[in-house]
Amino acid sequence: MTSTQLIELREALRQAMDEEMERDSRVFIMGEEVAEYNGAYKVTKGMLAKWGPKRVIDTPIAELGFGGLAIGAAMTGLRPIVEFMSFNFSFVGADQIISNAAKMYYMSGNRYSVPIVFRGPNGAAAQVSSQHSHCVESIYGVLPGLIIVAPSNAYDAKGLLKSSIRSNNPVLFLESELSYGDKMEIPTEEYLVPIGKANVVQEGNDVTLISHSRMVNLCKQAALELLAQGISVEVIDLRSIRPLDIETVARSIRKTHRAVLVEEGHFFAGITAEVGFEIMEVCFDDLDAPIVRVCQRDTPMPYSKVLEVETMPTVPRIIAAIKQTKI
Amino acid sequence: MVAKDLVPRFYKNERKDFLASIPKELLLDALKRMLLIRNFETRAEAAYQQGKVGGFFHSYIGQEAIQTAAYQVIGKDNWWITSYRCHALALLLGATPDELMAELFGRVTGNAKGRGGSMHFYTDRLLGGFGIVGGQIPIATGAAFSLKYLDQKSKVAVCFMGEGAVAQGSFHESLNLASLWNLPCIYVIENNQWGMGTAVNRALTNKRIAEEKAPGYNMKGYTFDGMDYLDCFAAFQHVYREVLETGRPVLIEALTERFKGHSISDPALYRTKDELKACMSRDPILQMKTDLIEAKILTEEQYKAIDKECRETVLKAITFAEDSPWPSPDTLGEDVFAPETEEGIR
Repeated sequence: MTSTQLIELREALRQAMDEEMERDSRVFIMGEEVAEYNGAYKVTKGMLAKWGPKRVIDTPIAELGFGGLAIGAAMTGLRPIVEFMSFNFSFVGADQIISNAAKMYYMSGNRYSVPIVFRGPNGAAAQVSSQHSHCVESIYGVLPGLIIVAPSNAYDAKGLLKSSIRSNNPVLFLESELSYGDKMEIPTEEYLVPIGKANVVQEGNDVTLISHSRMVNLCKQAALELLAQGISVEVIDLRSIRPLDIETVARSIRKTHRAVLVEEGHFFAGITAEVGFEIMEVCFDDLDAPIVRVCQRDTPMPYSKVLEVETMPTVPRIIAAIKQTKI
Repeated sequence: MVAKDLVPRFYKNERKDFLASIPKELLLDALKRMLLIRNFETRAEAAYQQGKVGGFFHSYIGQEAIQTAAYQVIGKDNWWITSYRCHALALLLGATPDELMAELFGRVTGNAKGRGGSMHFYTDRLLGGFGIVGGQIPIATGAAFSLKYLDQKSKVAVCFMGEGAVAQGSFHESLNLASLWNLPCIYVIENNQWGMGTAVNRALTNKRIAEEKAPGYNMKGYTFDGMDYLDCFAAFQHVYREVLETGRPVLIEALTERFKGHSISDPALYRTKDELKACMSRDPILQMKTDLIEAKILTEEQYKAIDKECRETVLKAITFAEDSPWPSPDTLGEDVFAPETEEGIR
């Protein structure tokens, strides 16, 4: 039997980086407060003490500058991990991600690849208002050349981050501030989780519930409540947005004939819009009911708790959406 | 146009003495390289006018002395980065006229397989032509970061930009980081006086951009005459030595002026005929020719022969490009992602 450890998701991320830095001297981490402060959310806790300032690097507040610098470093032989304190801050450096990282390999006639990981919390935290809560996956998801990963638990977070660091391509690795403290029993031994494979986290027969990142946990709760009402829900964790594993989704829908899509971000041109359309393209005839989706409502994130909960997907909203498919 | 009495002079000795300090072979090599650039740009522009080249096209004509001198002084085996005005640097760093012309023609034999076009040329040491103004500055800074990380002390990163890029945030953030972290990067502002149609004095408040900006980053800043190969050579000699010694970045400004519009579609109506005439009177190639003839290193006949040889090379490149196959539509989706070399990750 393999030995396991009960750890928080933030520790799983740290272990992934630590192991990869051990394995490859070209890997380093750079970002605001990652070193002396031990990480704004303590993901990099202890790493400066272990690896020193050459490989655990505090930056000034300059996402465009250090984001682009890291892309340049990736083009010239290194394998940077860049932490954004919030993925909302990536917007300041978006030109470097969009115009340089995403397009370089193709545009250069495959002369220069960009093996880099941008990671950090994405989406809502607790009452941090409009400018710190936006989900970025649908913004960056339109760009060919980027890999986008969004794990929901510590096991996937560790295995996917290790795969991301080993990838020869730019990866946006989306975490959730609200999930950093989630505990899970994961193997002590090294393992990888491949990028681009969705995971059926709970089997069911009546409806397929598809989501990613922190929303998967809400979906699991909704599924549990519905089980008590005699409704069997299959829950799929996409795990990676780009590439999108539509086959695993379609296989489930061919069984359940119903689909509900849940996304923390907004509905307009969102990930659910894409997944929903691909479902139509791949298995339209298998559907017995229109697809229903639960997303953030079409507002910036408000500060007040009361309004915040109103705009976000919740377990009751997910349950209502499932019932809308008239099982 | 920079008034002639305001043009700085970097080298301190007499012009002919300074010229005599540079090996004759190097001077002739510079002339030949500048003529190749001039001929390449001229013929490529003509091909564009004939509809054989599409998209944007930014000519380096008038600015040849700067990158030619930089290349000669610093040498290929460093990291090089520039803006979309990238044809000259690619030629200098060893990309063939054939592959560059084929890229302009959109052919599969092109420098970037017909995917990049005029603004995106590469070599094994040229990280690109970059299409977004100032977008290359953080990349160059990262290349310098890699040199330091990998302990390659004999190498530097050289980052060219137009003066238009100085107003971008990427300029500020990059120079701050490079100075903060002691990165060996030579930032070269090629001040050709115009950001597209906007005169530099309508974009920046500085009179001497590098000299005034650099102290704010605790860096050295220098200005030199970008229309004069000898002054470019002197300036790059100085800053290259300094960066190798200190391991610190430096900011330099080459005063120059392009002879063409911003791009091929720009008739440059913002510049009067007299202004253009004045700047063309300082043609770096003609200056070089005059200098070398005076120094008895070159004859008029030899000059004509070199020019002819360059013209023929470029005409052959045009034939090569025209005869090259188009990319197969089947290859459209290739290389969106680099192949993975590690097992089990995708």
